[in-house]
Amino acid sequence: MVDSDRKEFRIRDFLYVVPLWLLSLIVPDADDLYSYRGKEFKRRELFYLGALLFVPLIWRDPHFHHLMVLAGIYAILALGLSLFLGYAGQISLGHAAFFGIGAYTTAILTTRYSFAPFLAFWISPFVAALAAYLIGRPILKLKGYFLAIATLGFGEIFQVIVRESTVLTGGVIGIFDIPFLSIGGFSFDTYLKQYYLTWGVLLGLFLYSKNLVRSKMGRAFLAVAASEEAASTIGIKVARTKLGVFVIGAAFAGFAGSLFSSIMSIANPEAFSLNLSILIVIMVILGGMGNLYGPIFVSVLLTWLIDILGKYQVWSLPIYGIILILLLIFFPDGIGTRLGTRLIYLISYWSKKKRRNEGKV
Amino acid sequence: MNSWTYLPQLLASGITVGAIYALVALSFVTITRASQIINFAQGEFVMLGGVLTFFLLKNLGPSYPLAALMAIGIVVMVGFLMYLSVIYPLRKAPMLIPLIATLGASIFLSNTSGFLFGTLPKTLPPFSGQQPFQFLGVFLLPQSLWVLGATFLLLVLLYLLSHRTFLGKAMEASSTDPLGADLVGISRNRMVFLAFGVSAGTGAIAGILITPIFFTSYNSGTILGLKGFIAAVLGGWGKNTGAILGGFALGILEALSVAFIPAGYKDGVAFAILLLILYFRPKGILGSPFVDSRRW
Amino acid sequence: MSLLRVEEITKEYDGLRALDHFSLNVEKGIIKGLIGPNGAGKSTLFHLISGIEKPDSGKIYFKDKEITALESHEISALGIGRTFQTVQTLSNMTVIENIMAGMHLRLKGNLLSSGLWLPWTARAEKGALKEAKEILDLLGLLGRWKSPASQLPLGKQKLLELGRALAMKPELILLDEPASGLTSAESDQLKERIQQFKRDGMTFCIVEHQMGMVMEIADQVAVLDNGRLIAEGPPNIVERDAQVMDAYLKRKRSDA
Repeated sequence: MVDSDRKEFRIRDFLYVVPLWLLSLIVPDADDLYSYRGKEFKRRELFYLGALLFVPLIWRDPHFHHLMVLAGIYAILALGLSLFLGYAGQISLGHAAFFGIGAYTTAILTTRYSFAPFLAFWISPFVAALAAYLIGRPILKLKGYFLAIATLGFGEIFQVIVRESTVLTGGVIGIFDIPFLSIGGFSFDTYLKQYYLTWGVLLGLFLYSKNLVRSKMGRAFLAVAASEEAASTIGIKVARTKLGVFVIGAAFAGFAGSLFSSIMSIANPEAFSLNLSILIVIMVILGGMGNLYGPIFVSVLLTWLIDILGKYQVWSLPIYGIILILLLIFFPDGIGTRLGTRLIYLISYWSKKKRRNEGKV
Repeated sequence: MNSWTYLPQLLASGITVGAIYALVALSFVTITRASQIINFAQGEFVMLGGVLTFFLLKNLGPSYPLAALMAIGIVVMVGFLMYLSVIYPLRKAPMLIPLIATLGASIFLSNTSGFLFGTLPKTLPPFSGQQPFQFLGVFLLPQSLWVLGATFLLLVLLYLLSHRTFLGKAMEASSTDPLGADLVGISRNRMVFLAFGVSAGTGAIAGILITPIFFTSYNSGTILGLKGFIAAVLGGWGKNTGAILGGFALGILEALSVAFIPAGYKDGVAFAILLLILYFRPKGILGSPFVDSRRW
Repeated sequence: MSLLRVEEITKEYDGLRALDHFSLNVEKGIIKGLIGPNGAGKSTLFHLISGIEKPDSGKIYFKDKEITALESHEISALGIGRTFQTVQTLSNMTVIENIMAGMHLRLKGNLLSSGLWLPWTARAEKGALKEAKEILDLLGLLGRWKSPASQLPLGKQKLLELGRALAMKPELILLDEPASGLTSAESDQLKERIQQFKRDGMTFCIVEHQMGMVMEIADQVAVLDNGRLIAEGPPNIVERDAQVMDAYLKRKRSDA
């Protein structure tokens, strides 16, 4: 009886421990970005970079490439929001609106006014940032739930306006035939090329974010999240800081939107809904607050999840909802947070139990 | 100039919709008074009330009132389940997470409804006949009277519940002073649990009332929930009277706005009102015990 | 020279007068104690000085410049640092980062230059790290520089807050009930350190409602009761002032 107990025990725990261990090798802890770590090039970062560069060349499935392109776009969105939500601690449930502003700006400029896609690519985030600046000034005075609702309201208003301004935005139908992004003569027309484009943009934005987070600005964001009162007494201009992060997050979303437009070739209002805003917030939460890598990993994870669930057609949406809720319940601090510590607890618990069982025999 | 002649008619329809907003707003406030949580799946309870009644009527064939009661019962169960599976496990997490979880639950409920009951809009037979009748120059549906009447009844019931019964007073106590209530034996968790049931039931009733006039489909709950929330904020967040006032105010303002702006923007009106209120008077019309200018 | 001057400040909350035509003067280089029974208005005064709230009437001057209407971050920029009664360490950061956060005003950089990691950013960060470690060393917290600030016991968190204020290199530090919640050993440590910093040129204004610690290190003491100044002077004289004893004892009797 005890023997079979032990065997079952081992196998069951293996199923739990091994994936967690593998995961902890790959997923970084929030710890990694504390400012005093400086520019240490950890082996892990090189591993990520290498994987990013070479995996698509090895695994040449176009569907995989397509998926990773989408994941990259979501990652850019999550990255931008993670500065606002994960670091500065402010809630935005309308982030999809900035994504939409970026997408529509590119769409309109390239199809109606024959702008070069490359130019539109740089103008879009600027427009999104401007919108964020205008909306942010009054809205960011609100706190907590009220900020969340106000941003949600803004997101909904954006959708309504887009749906109704048929002349400018093509209304419910949207805009078609958006050209691919191209630089000089080189056009990003295959999923593989788009992959490198998207993740290249992400890399650039990531480096910018990482620098920001490691500097006094990052500390200012965190201070605002920790205690606005204390932050103001050390000289941080709280309102301007919040506005600044909001605008940066919106600019990132603008980049993502522009890429989205040129890759999907169409823009329509359904893609920029509250559901997307919620999804991005979930990505940041599950990625871990105060963490830049986490949201990126989670966006890749969730993109794959959505794709896998898509195969189950009608079942997919309810299951998707359940999975999200379960993840939130089990990982409110983020999936990767303290993964190493949790693992250590688990292993020590396991070995103690094993010893106890053996002792009984 | 023509729009002006429609005003009384718009007013009438606004009041009807306003009653529904009032009920939804009241449901929000019920939960918030017990627990400081904002349940964004509230609209889904309304949707389920209508959709489930339709489903039961069509497939099981009981009488209309019986089907309605069964549907309400099921939705109350769903409310309890939601509390147990989502809110209770997250009771210690920072505020943001239960909020997102309720949003997630809302997505789940609406999608499951679409999956189980189909995505086509559903309607129910009106309680007492289809013929609109004239009243003060305005055409009213008999159903509208039912809506208003039932709303009034529910309001009275809820008032009695919270002020005259021990249970209601316990819920009030638990929201005003959780620690104190706990010390005298009122379990906060149980109060919140009940609050979820009550607000689910209220929502379901609202759904059954409104479906004969406006159709209900799997995704109509989300926007309804949002508008109910906006109504509650408009009237004065956290107050029952505020919820009611806000509901009617929102319904009327929204209906009247159609006379002045293109109809497609109607949904945007509610959100515009929200932004205006949050910016200029976050306490709402009647003021709010929960909104402190310096904190959350 | 007068560093801080508070003139006829009045502040009311919902009909309750927290401060009633209160005036105070703090000379440069001294430790000014501010004592009084609970609820006498001491923390309110700090909120008004640091700009978190605005007085109903009266003026506040710092280095002869009026600061009454300035925002909190502007006042900090002028050289006033503070700690809080309910310790507000930046609990989402590590100990060292708390100190480095205090240096915010002194470091160069904005959203653009920091993000691009222009050369001076790297240098600024390195310098900041070094200086922050020195401050931690002075406070005896260097051993835990990498720990999350939330893991520190209360006494050390209070020291951390002091460190954060020091990192600003201010001219005046307002300490709000620094000794509450400390063990007597920790409180002695704190006393020593404050005296050390005073010798190095810092001016302190300390609010306490326990007489013990403040009376030992203050050069001058002001006593508040019900929002009014009822005594002012060197500690040994104030101690014996009849009105002061009355105020404390009256409270004690009414508390009982």
